[in-house]
Amino acid sequence: MSRLVQELNRLPGIGPKSAQRLAYYIIRLPDEEAYALADAVTSVKQNIVFCEECQNLTDASPCQVCSDPRRDRTIICVVEDPLDVLAMERTRTFRGLYHVLHGVISPINGVGPDQLKLRELFSRLNQPDIAEMVVATNPTLEGEATAMYIRRHQGRDDLKVTHLARGLPVGGSLEYTDETTLTRAFQGRQEI
Amino acid sequence: MAPPRTYRCEAIILSYTPLGEADLLVTMFTRDQGKVRAVGKGARRSTSKLVGHLEPLTLMRMSMAHGRNMDIISQGEVVQSFSKLKEDLTGITKGLYLAELVNGFGAEDSANPELYRLMIETLLAIETDPESDMPLRFFEFHLLQVSGLMPELYHCVECRAELEPDAHRFSPNVGGTLCLDCNPEDAHLRLLSLRALKVLRLLDRSDIAAACKLSLDDSLAAELKSLLSTTVSYWLGKEIRSNSFLERLNNESLPEVYI
Repeated sequence: MSRLVQELNRLPGIGPKSAQRLAYYIIRLPDEEAYALADAVTSVKQNIVFCEECQNLTDASPCQVCSDPRRDRTIICVVEDPLDVLAMERTRTFRGLYHVLHGVISPINGVGPDQLKLRELFSRLNQPDIAEMVVATNPTLEGEATAMYIRRHQGRDDLKVTHLARGLPVGGSLEYTDETTLTRAFQGRQEI
Repeated sequence: MAPPRTYRCEAIILSYTPLGEADLLVTMFTRDQGKVRAVGKGARRSTSKLVGHLEPLTLMRMSMAHGRNMDIISQGEVVQSFSKLKEDLTGITKGLYLAELVNGFGAEDSANPELYRLMIETLLAIETDPESDMPLRFFEFHLLQVSGLMPELYHCVECRAELEPDAHRFSPNVGGTLCLDCNPEDAHLRLLSLRALKVLRLLDRSDIAAACKLSLDDSLAAELKSLLSTTVSYWLGKEIRSNSFLERLNNESLPEVYI
């Protein structure tokens, strides 16, 4: 029991009290549901691998997106995490390929370029059919630093490098918007 | 009478970590209370009134509420965003280096307005000239000073003799400079050139604007950088993590392009 509490306590956002509550919940589960949970954890660790192309997590490499012949192979969208791929896919707007960095450069936490999937990205960019790279890191200080690093090191003069637009969120408010976002929104204004 | 539940403060954001579903645990350095850790409720949601305000290296004026475990950021207004500094990779990395040092040296619930002022004026100096390393040297030196760890630069720390205009030894472990006659057993002992000693004394006497006008040759700049960052790291008791990425950028020295 205490081992289960200890293991659950390691999960992000789970404190000791929540870990105890979850442990009691698991104990009260019917046998088949508890074993299904254990099996899901085991199989995800056994079967999930990095896609050899985009470095996303997948159960078969290359992943579903990279092996889809209908995707536009001239454009790569670089994101921080696998969850960002899901968010982009929900928009059904982007039809190109992805590259997942699995983090951002974070000097203060000791995360440098070598800890990210940057070598794999720069190697992919050697393919001449890639015409555009959209750097879709989060608009945070570390996300911007990573975007600048990628721009600096991508090594191709003929590659179009873009990033996502900065500006006001839908449902946001001008009054509460910080000056950097408002400046960027103003710079990126569009004709209506 | 019960103490007020809310208070106002001015602070520089040092770092944050995600907390729960959409909150941020923010570490900031305030003018009046030193280092404070507080929660930005819902700050990761794109429509939150705090989104964009809590990025590291932002000077904020905030309303806070006392919480049971940690204070809650209820409102925030940007005073200075250092936006020019944030358009440059070297500038960002230098700013984060300062944030790491202030996080390490700043104490919770203990005001250090000199350190607060030092961080702001150094960020402004980096913003003016991101390529110059002098703002960092000035910051490191005065960080020691405002933390009560100022190295002795005028007398030998062992025999107390006034230092002659000559090369000397230096060790953070014994508290500063030693004459060449004194040679205690100390793993941190290193040679200190006369030129480097003169620059340290100048840093002691001058303000940041004057210090940034100094132009050092490569060997003197390297000696000062090594001496000051080693001393700061010694007192911090651990490696300064952002230093390795800063070194890497310095070695590359490629032209900066912002996208």
